[in-house]
Amino acid sequence: MALDFEAATRIPPKMVKIRIRRYNPETKKMWWQEYEVHAHKGMTVLDALLYIKENIDHTLGVRYSCRMGLCGSCGMNINGTPMLACQTQIAQVASGGNPVITLEPLPSFPVVKDLITEFTSFFNKHKSVKPYLIRKDTEEQETPKGHLKMKPQEFIEIFQFSNCIFCGLCYAACPVTAADPEYLGPQALMYTFRYINDVRDEGHEERFAVVDSENGCHRCHFAATCSAVCPKAVDPAGAIQALRSKLFKYRLGFYRKKGSKPLPPPPEKGERKPLPPEAMLVPGANLEQLEKEKVVISLNNK
Amino acid sequence: MGSVDKEVELKNRKGFWRESLNPWLVRAKNNPERVAYVLHRVTGFIIIAFLLAHILETDSPVWTQYAPINGLTAWSAWSYIMHVESAWYLKIGEFIVAGSVFFHALNGFRLLLTEFFGVGIGKPVEPKPPYEAPTLSAPQRTWLYIVFVLSIVLWAFSAYLIFG
Repeated sequence: MALDFEAATRIPPKMVKIRIRRYNPETKKMWWQEYEVHAHKGMTVLDALLYIKENIDHTLGVRYSCRMGLCGSCGMNINGTPMLACQTQIAQVASGGNPVITLEPLPSFPVVKDLITEFTSFFNKHKSVKPYLIRKDTEEQETPKGHLKMKPQEFIEIFQFSNCIFCGLCYAACPVTAADPEYLGPQALMYTFRYINDVRDEGHEERFAVVDSENGCHRCHFAATCSAVCPKAVDPAGAIQALRSKLFKYRLGFYRKKGSKPLPPPPEKGERKPLPPEAMLVPGANLEQLEKEKVVISLNNK
Repeated sequence: MGSVDKEVELKNRKGFWRESLNPWLVRAKNNPERVAYVLHRVTGFIIIAFLLAHILETDSPVWTQYAPINGLTAWSAWSYIMHVESAWYLKIGEFIVAGSVFFHALNGFRLLLTEFFGVGIGKPVEPKPPYEAPTLSAPQRTWLYIVFVLSIVLWAFSAYLIFG
């Protein structure tokens, strides 16, 4: 979800009620628990959860790491929307009229404990689309002699998709994933497109074979919630549509993959060139003497 | 799980429908595409139901020979069905089907353009705060609003044809 700058300037209600859907894996019991937290300006939902964990209830299970929207560990359903707890301000989701924040684990993921969800199948799907560069000349790839050429505009075409932080919000928001657990999901399909779009990659045929299946990109129905909840503007919805149009062209035989050849290796290091005359010492200056002298820098003119 | 535990669990849930539809009820700001997605599915089901009923209706002179309605067969049964369908409550059904067809057709054309030809979905950009995905402000969003407005206008016109 796009960042809400205006929310950071707002003052949240003094006391917020945090309602958490908890789950205990040992007793297999699920229940709702409420906590009251004093909120302050600039407080995030993760701050509130850590306050609860430190002062009210130590048994609460939360996963977090960086606290700044980079690691993608703290994704959860906040008031029914998948969001990163660390990037969501209390003032953004609670107001004086309605000071209740409902927290649930991400939907479409099996719950481990409380707000912690299991990501194994998510990462297996990510692995299944071969998220690495595939070159036909494997020997050159193992022992590269030069760089692979890439223009700045070609880099921009894949940079947006490389920003994915694997938080799983798109996967949780997708209505198709909710209905079909075998569906590859927005994240894996977006990564397929990221590598097919990469000029350095030559494995598009293998990847098209993976996504052109019953549970592949044809399952997407363009609800675009994945793009709406993405905290990094990675835009999986657009990537899947573009992937599908590329696959359509590929099956009709019109698809032409842009290629990139390795650049010639850089010249070997020769003898060092002498410095230009303006970089040489002033004739008559004694370097040792200059080093011993004290340097006084005064900002005060007096 | 004991019955008491089950009772406690069910009491603490939001309700069966809310729970089973939970991932479908995900709320997201700036996302009319999801509304269009849900409407596309619902209108699809309405059109399928109408088509099945329509086949039965147009085929009634044949099948009523084997299963008469109110003792009527063949063309007399056809006139009877036509008479029943002119009732006001079935006209409302017709009106709903007309609206479904308009929305499903127009939105389907938009989906054809975006999904098969990759048109109107925007181009990758360098991400900058506040991190908004380019697809959400691409031409497909304008087309979606046009689809909503056009289908409402056509629906209103169909009301004039059906009830007027």
